[in-house]
Amino acid sequence: MTRRAPTRAAIYGVTVLAALATGAGAPRTASAEPPSRVVSLNLCADELLLRLARPEQIASVTFLSRDPKQSTVADLARDHPVNYGRAEDVLRFDPDLVVAGRYTTRTTVDFLRRNGETLLELDAPATLPQVEEQIRRLGEALGEPDRAQALADEIAAAFAEGDPIDDVARPTAVVFAPNGFTVGAGSLVDTIINAAGLRNLGAEQDLGSYRHLPLERLLALAPDVLILAATESAPARAYEVLHHPILSRLPSQPVIVRLSPRLWTCAGPEIARALSILRGAAAEARERET
Amino acid sequence: MVSHGGLLMLLATLTAALFAASLAVGYAPLDLGAATGDAFRGEETVQALVFVELRLPRAILGLLVGFTLGLAGAVMQGFLRNPLAEPGVVGVSGGAAFGAVLVFYSGLAALSPLILPAGGILAALLVGALLFAVAGRGMSTTTLILAGVAINSLAGALISLTLNLAPNPYAAMEIMFWLMGSLADRSFSHVWVALGPMVVGWVMLLSTARALDALSLGEATARTLGFDLRRVRAMVVGGVALSVGAATAVAGVIGFVGLIVPHLVRPLVGHRPGRLLIASGLSGASLTLAADVAVRLIPTRPELQLGVVTAIIGAPFLFSLVWRYRRVER
Repeated sequence: MTRRAPTRAAIYGVTVLAALATGAGAPRTASAEPPSRVVSLNLCADELLLRLARPEQIASVTFLSRDPKQSTVADLARDHPVNYGRAEDVLRFDPDLVVAGRYTTRTTVDFLRRNGETLLELDAPATLPQVEEQIRRLGEALGEPDRAQALADEIAAAFAEGDPIDDVARPTAVVFAPNGFTVGAGSLVDTIINAAGLRNLGAEQDLGSYRHLPLERLLALAPDVLILAATESAPARAYEVLHHPILSRLPSQPVIVRLSPRLWTCAGPEIARALSILRGAAAEARERET
Repeated sequence: MVSHGGLLMLLATLTAALFAASLAVGYAPLDLGAATGDAFRGEETVQALVFVELRLPRAILGLLVGFTLGLAGAVMQGFLRNPLAEPGVVGVSGGAAFGAVLVFYSGLAALSPLILPAGGILAALLVGALLFAVAGRGMSTTTLILAGVAINSLAGALISLTLNLAPNPYAAMEIMFWLMGSLADRSFSHVWVALGPMVVGWVMLLSTARALDALSLGEATARTLGFDLRRVRAMVVGGVALSVGAATAVAGVIGFVGLIVPHLVRPLVGHRPGRLLIASGLSGASLTLAADVAVRLIPTRPELQLGVVTAIIGAPFLFSLVWRYRRVER
């Protein structure tokens, strides 16, 4: 990194000069030409970009996208240079489109905006229509509307599967994540749980904004399905609560389903896989009931 | 003035009451009577499970860790004849935490449950041996504190470095646990791995009681009374390392308990260092259990680290001691 600093600084200088020459501050107007040097600053943006764009359009994705524990596109990401979300990282690639997440790398995004880069910010959608709309929006920006529509349709089709379940027959479910956190209402995860025919007890509890669920309260909730959402790689104390001996002896004897959070952290096609895993758990819970 | 036996009874009763309070306080309403009834009948109801698997190990650990810290503080103050000696202040706890961090995040601890306390104990032994070697020829209060500052800073930095290097994204967020301690979500497996070394450590520390009494008359007197001071020192270092190392490996660094408690109890035992030991251990258990009840009553979620509460009480106490001894040393 240090070794390359002078080179990067030089490129940085050149880019700033170029930006000044072309009128810094004014966003480049969208041309008919699709972007050819796209940089992504966010793992969820990576996942959509790698699926929607042509490989030669992609200048760089985040380092996170190569980690198979966190990313669903580690294979696709392997051939592209990575960045660490810093402004210098981005300028090095002289991008014509930067895709960022609404809540990450804020300093970099603010800098890029001042610098007049073309930015597309992705949100964290909570509903199926929002997921589809976001995919189409990125598809438009990349000049790949058909691919985007196909991807959105694929996700919508997965959600449309399965019979509608009346509320009385819904087994209850709770998400239990590292450090004892759970998932409440107004989130994509909650949408997926509901679509799977489950009732998310985490959405009905007053757990404050951090949604921390003490083990004692988890026991009192007595869910039919316990969703342990963790990909355990290297050791961390955060997982210890997921291995507490009490979880294997819960009096409600829930269906315990382990789910890798990478499937539902980002609003991409993998949420269909999370959905089908949860549908399986819901079916098992209903079977136990009868 | 109450008799020594009376004082111990009193402190044991206080500890028992706070142990019961620790069992009674939690995050879901619990009918203790019904819960214990279910547990004794072997019925695995929610009440019984919360009581047996969550509240009981937590209270027991509070008791064990607190007793360890109170006892270790009293022995170290007596042996070093230094009012500010304490596992946390001198850096033994910090060193133990670093040892535990190394074996935990490297994945070694996954091989056997005994490796985690072993890491804490080994590191505590190293720091203890180093410290007591320096302190061998009498160490002023200031020197001891400065050595503690140096060891604590290094241990804290190495813990941060290790956790930031650890490949898991959660690791870096766990610096707080190791530096500030907690008893949240502990299970009986933590009790079992720590219990053995702690009890052996207590026995070693308690065996120094008479030597500490003799030492209060000076090293030469203690020697003429027939105490082998090298052996006593080995018992102190070994006992502190075993008990504090194991305690820190399962609960993180909980500071100041071993500092405060001996000072509070000392006037009640007629200033005899030997008699201070059990009284100090019981008071340490009481203080730790009380602090652990407090973190569950203070409405922060996730709950406050236990070491935060003991530091809020202990740091001003340390400051008052420093102030007092500064006047004396002048």
